Amino acid sequence: MTGYIARRLLFVVLVLVAVSMLVFSITALLPANVAHLILGPFAPPEQVRALELKLGLTDPIWLQYVRWAGGFLSGNLGESTLMNRPIGPLLMEAIGRSMMLTGASFVLIAVIGIGLGIIAALRHGGPLDHGISVGTYLGIAVPEFFWAIIVIIVVAAWLGWLPASGYEPLSAGFTVWAKHLIAPTMTLVFGHLAHVSRLTRSSMIEVLQSPYVTAARAKGLPERVVVMHHALRNALLPTITVLALDFGRLMGGIVVVETIFAYPGLGRLIVFSIQNRDLPTLQAAILVVAAIYALANLLADLLYARFNPKIRFGRNVG
Amino acid sequence: MLLIDDLTVRYRTPGGEIEALSSISLQVEKGSTVALVGESGSGKSTVALAAMGLLPQEASIPSGRILFDGQDIMMMNVEERRRLRGSRIGLIFQDPFSVLNPSLRIGDQVGEGLVHHRGFSTERAFARAIELLDEVGIVRPESVAKAYPHELSGGMRQRALIAGALASEPDLLILDEPTTALDVTIEAQILDLLEGLRRQRGMTMVFISHNLGVVRRISDEVAVLYAGQIIEQGRTEDVLQRPIHPYAKGLLAAIPRIGQKQGRLAAIPGRLPDLRNPPTGCRFARRCPFATPDSDKPQILRKLGDRQVRCTNAEALREAPWPRPGESEQFAEVVRSPHAGPVVAVEHLTKTFGRHAGFAFKWRRLATSTEIKPVNDISIEVAAGEVLGLVGESGSGKTTLGLSILRLVEPDSGTIRIAGEMVSGKAQRALESMRRSAQIVFQNPDSSLNPRKTIGELLARPIERFRLAPSGEIPARVRQLLDLVRLPAHYADRYAHQMSGGEKQRVGIARALATEPRFIVCDEPVSALDVSVQAAIVNLLADLRDRLGVAYLFISHDISVVAHIADRVAVMHHGKMVEIGRADEVMNAPKHPYTMKLLSAVPRIDGPAPRSVGERHGQVA
Repeated sequence: MTGYIARRLLFVVLVLVAVSMLVFSITALLPANVAHLILGPFAPPEQVRALELKLGLTDPIWLQYVRWAGGFLSGNLGESTLMNRPIGPLLMEAIGRSMMLTGASFVLIAVIGIGLGIIAALRHGGPLDHGISVGTYLGIAVPEFFWAIIVIIVVAAWLGWLPASGYEPLSAGFTVWAKHLIAPTMTLVFGHLAHVSRLTRSSMIEVLQSPYVTAARAKGLPERVVVMHHALRNALLPTITVLALDFGRLMGGIVVVETIFAYPGLGRLIVFSIQNRDLPTLQAAILVVAAIYALANLLADLLYARFNPKIRFGRNVG
Repeated sequence: MLLIDDLTVRYRTPGGEIEALSSISLQVEKGSTVALVGESGSGKSTVALAAMGLLPQEASIPSGRILFDGQDIMMMNVEERRRLRGSRIGLIFQDPFSVLNPSLRIGDQVGEGLVHHRGFSTERAFARAIELLDEVGIVRPESVAKAYPHELSGGMRQRALIAGALASEPDLLILDEPTTALDVTIEAQILDLLEGLRRQRGMTMVFISHNLGVVRRISDEVAVLYAGQIIEQGRTEDVLQRPIHPYAKGLLAAIPRIGQKQGRLAAIPGRLPDLRNPPTGCRFARRCPFATPDSDKPQILRKLGDRQVRCTNAEALREAPWPRPGESEQFAEVVRSPHAGPVVAVEHLTKTFGRHAGFAFKWRRLATSTEIKPVNDISIEVAAGEVLGLVGESGSGKTTLGLSILRLVEPDSGTIRIAGEMVSGKAQRALESMRRSAQIVFQNPDSSLNPRKTIGELLARPIERFRLAPSGEIPARVRQLLDLVRLPAHYADRYAHQMSGGEKQRVGIARALATEPRFIVCDEPVSALDVSVQAAIVNLLADLRDRLGVAYLFISHDISVVAHIADRVAVMHHGKMVEIGRADEVMNAPKHPYTMKLLSAVPRIDGPAPRSVGERHGQVA
């Protein structure tokens, strides 16, 4: 098992190195000089020159990369060109807020999605199954910004239950904090349920027809034990992989959702730094997203191994 | 103990309602073993599911009662039935490879019945599971209990399943093809185990199987099912040695017997009647050589001595033998190839698995470093028009050898010569002429025939590929091929799913013949087929050999089939060839201990009655 984890971790590192090169190559591939780009077309040459020196743009490209990547490893992410603040704390703050949002959404997607999938599988072919299918498909078929607007109109404007946008820290009180989280979370959850519930449903249906489930019934086990203990364990294996992929999709989802709800997280930071040509912040943020994505997949692989003894022992099945 | 009375079961299917069981009545006395035998579609497994109250939702039971110990199972509510299952009635399924939950430990699966029926704690159930595993003859039961199913062999899994069924000491054990997925030597061990349990515990058993040899070893009484009806029932030895119903006669005649090499096997022509609309008269009449006008009247199960037979003509048929196939289709002498010498010559062929180059695999090797040699220094020759039988248990390397000879699996070393051409050492794309002269027939026609192509297209493809006929003549050539495997010409427009298993395998053979090969690897060509169909396919292969002079490497785990068709037999064990010789010599006077073990394990339908299983136990183990 240790060897397995070490191997997977090595892959994560390789992925991150590759992504960091890609992200960094943005600087090299941009048609104009980065300093020009940041300062705009009418900047005086001496200012451009000063910024070039500050950013180290006169050095060879590999040296720039090494310096940038080295800074990353030592925790020095550079400085935001726009806000003139170190990127590190800026990013940490945004990540923290986004994690609250994605974390809550992710847990809800997993719990509700798997739950709906099980119900649909047990009732498959029935009206409840069809209802769940239609509902979750509706969620995935229409883009997130649409649901975001619907949520704002219904929950904030009509019912007035929740604030339409913004963020309040936990220090402002739990209720206030939670109220700001609910609407964006709802939007994200609704848009992602279908993957999980559909996959759980189909693998659950398959597993429920497998000989070992019939065998479990033949042992006279209560139906609850048959479903939750015998069937679900095996049916969840593909779902785990999709959950990890969905976590990645959530990272994309927050870009839209945070922008609409004016939620100051990682997604909004990315949009903000693109709009304002804050290249160092953008690079750092994207690398962080890639890291989260890779780690989520690593976690999924480990969970998969946890539930699938065939992988856990790293043995070839005869 | 178990009384099934006038049970009818129907399944709703998209194509209409199928009557899987029609008025089945069966009585199982306490302490006895009753076998249900029949081919696929006979309804034998439905009996098991019905007795357990486990029929799927599509099933309906318009009539009948199932009494267990005097109580009607069908009158019980779901909860009562559940309590009966696993505590008083145990069920053991066919395939130990898919019946165990892959993600739960063996010990938990063996003991869990105790947790739910007897209120054991999980720890106590696990401890009891270890005892049970010990009881069914598993060595080191503690570590097996902690293992997961994929870590065990098929025989161990089946033992674990039996242990699980025994856990709550059921009064009745229903076994649905419990040894079908196992090798003969393992099968013999499991049968010994069951026989022992039966004697020690006085267990009542219902044993469902298609294998008459197995049934003969284990059961007191046998009921033969055909198309949802019991057609003959009586004491096992009586029914198997002196069958009365024509179907039972046919079934027994179709089984090849070791040491009695006949010209051709007896086959049962035709196929099962359509159960959506079963004939009102005898359901077997259309396939029956003894059919009379009376056969169209409804048949009832009549008592005949201590036997029951569903045939109005039973008395007259008592001694009538199933017609032997005449040697009518005798063809001219085998067309031996003009340039003498073997069609296939293989020398020192070796194939090793677990040595793949590549990133991921190298890492795995560091962790486990297992290396197996499914083909280990094998040398064989096959002459023109000769059938070389290849027997061995699963994992012995038979299939890998067959595939390596055709370079469908790349051998590591050794030389292969087919039809005078050096095949080993050539690049795959240089194998053009070999691909024509050597072909293969696979075990499972369902997965080897493309479901989206018509049979005509499937057969035309190799003809086009090798430009064996101008495109205008291809349809005629396809008809010829169909005729060769005795399928009507209009089958060219059918798709694989519109055909029965035997017909599909005929197409598989026709496809192999399309390139006019001189050598065909037949990889378990009849293993997926019923006995009566198997006989017809074996006969067909024998005819084709006589007519076309093709040579076969005939791979099978079924020794009696190989003994019947092969001129010479090779026995493989762990990748090595332990014995090779003339078929009758190997069968009657095996030299290698492994061959002897293999032969003694085969459950036979002839020879002395095998009631002395207990005594044999000492010898085998």
